[in-house]
Amino acid sequence: MSNVQIELTGVDKHYGQFHALKDINLSIEKGTFVALVGPSGCGKSTLLRSLAGLETITGGTMKIAGEVMNDVPPRKRDVAMVFQSYALYPHMRVAENLTYSLRLKGTPKEQALAAAEEVARTTGLSHLLGRFPRELSGGQRQRVAMGRAIIRHPKAFLFDEPLSNLDAALRVHMRKEIRALHDRLGATSVYVTHDQVEAMTMADRVVVMRDGVIEQEGAPLELYDKPASRFVAGFIGSPAMNFVPAMISEDGQAVLLDLPDAPRLPIGRALEPGRRVSAGLRPEHLTVTNAETAALRLPVGVVESTGSMTYISSGTDPEITVVIHGRSPLSAGEVMGLTIAPENVHLFDVESERVI
Amino acid sequence: MTRPWTQWVLLAVALAMAAVYLFPLYWMYVTSLKTNSEIFANPPSFWPADPQFAIYPGVWARRSMSTFLWNSTIIAAGVTAVTVILGTGCAYVLARYRNAWVDVGLFCILMLQVLPASVMITPLFVGFNQVGLLGSPRLAVILASAAKAMPFFVVLVRATFMSVPRELEEAALVDGNSRVGAFFTIVLPLARNGILVCAILTFMSAFGEYIYSKSIIQDPRFQPASVGLSGFLGPNSSDWNAIMAYSAIYVTPILAVFVLLQRRIVSGLTSGALK
Repeated sequence: MSNVQIELTGVDKHYGQFHALKDINLSIEKGTFVALVGPSGCGKSTLLRSLAGLETITGGTMKIAGEVMNDVPPRKRDVAMVFQSYALYPHMRVAENLTYSLRLKGTPKEQALAAAEEVARTTGLSHLLGRFPRELSGGQRQRVAMGRAIIRHPKAFLFDEPLSNLDAALRVHMRKEIRALHDRLGATSVYVTHDQVEAMTMADRVVVMRDGVIEQEGAPLELYDKPASRFVAGFIGSPAMNFVPAMISEDGQAVLLDLPDAPRLPIGRALEPGRRVSAGLRPEHLTVTNAETAALRLPVGVVESTGSMTYISSGTDPEITVVIHGRSPLSAGEVMGLTIAPENVHLFDVESERVI
Repeated sequence: MTRPWTQWVLLAVALAMAAVYLFPLYWMYVTSLKTNSEIFANPPSFWPADPQFAIYPGVWARRSMSTFLWNSTIIAAGVTAVTVILGTGCAYVLARYRNAWVDVGLFCILMLQVLPASVMITPLFVGFNQVGLLGSPRLAVILASAAKAMPFFVVLVRATFMSVPRELEEAALVDGNSRVGAFFTIVLPLARNGILVCAILTFMSAFGEYIYSKSIIQDPRFQPASVGLSGFLGPNSSDWNAIMAYSAIYVTPILAVFVLLQRRIVSGLTSGALK
């Protein structure tokens, strides 16, 4: 028996003229936590809703636990979904919210109630079972929404930006909680978010989408280290990667940036001389060194410090951002020298935006 | 600076308007208790010198008001039942689906509202006559009035349904319910207040319906109170205190219901009845 829980082959979705999902191929193994990320309108939510059965796909096949689900209504798919707005039933108490799906299945009352108490214990809701959703805080509502999904032991959990309505501190906390829950239940989870930090920290696999297409799929650090396209490189990592138009040098061993004095950065391999490329430099890979000897010398524009980290932006066009740990003696108007290891220089094709 | 001042002016205007609207009501109660000579006294008296409470039981018995009010109740209840049952489903569909046909449907419904009852009554009478509905005149009035009440109900209840978040329904679907089940266990309970308020308003307006009843129901045994009231107004009659007493008996229950439910009605109309 294969270990694939969710399998999408050539999935297409049209809304009238609009092509929302284009030939999506994705297989998700049992027990993995997959994050779908991308800017708004990239199709990630549409894909999730298609998995839930709330949207019907117009082409391809969608399998959950080996069964083709293309035309199966949501109630027969055995997946649980956590909505961005939580979608708790306002006229039902917490206990009734939790047991709603069980009652629909015809589970005896005592058994359903016992299950609700069990779930309430694991999610820390035991003292709230008799309350209405409007009497709960944002974090508690979030937990009820989670509990409602957990109680069913579904084939897959679908999360639609569940943390975006929480404040920053709670979000970080719930991030860990959801991940811990996933591990404890051994569940298969698909998690939609526009926040790449959430995706990176929570997921086993990250799927980056844009304009209805999967740009790249892989482990979080794989995406960070080896982005397949300029889009993925810019999307993953914070602050975002610096992109500088550049040209391969005459000996093919380095790249000449389109900045004043055409700084030369070695790339550790040989490429076709004279080729136009886009060079990607992560802010955290650039290190400040002696301005006299460094290959890359830039005027300092703005220095922002958060205490533990300092963000330095150059006063050039395109702007280069550098992140350094601790404090920096640099101030605006000075010249800083920068170096970067050859393996950390990412090069992208100007036309196709794919990595070189 | 000017705010307290404006507030007082607005309050004064509101009170003046309310007085203008409520004066006839006051005059109805007062006149019903006056003696015949006092009614025509000049200058008029604003409080009856010698209240004639006996007029109420007298009018009740003399005009067989129990029959009239019973007919009014039957007609109003029938209109409300037909409107709520058909209108709720209609409003839900119009709230949840968005396409050209829905727009056409909505437009047609709003057009219904434009046509006045006095224009509709002649074709309705002819049509009802041909299908033999005039044999059961109260049913005929119920059908005609329900068609008249429907647009108002559908438009208001549609707004209530639109205020129920779609995600709740989707959550119910994923939780294992069918569309019909999700409608009855999630959407309907949440829209209940709005539907209730619209049903009450429908009932109250049907309770006072006149044109269809007057035209369709000939037999006094089946006539509602509104038609019965017009029986007082003959060319020679000037039985004003009896007319006022009749009106008071007719209107007071509606007023009482309205006063009791007014907080709910106002909040139901404005908040969309959520939470």
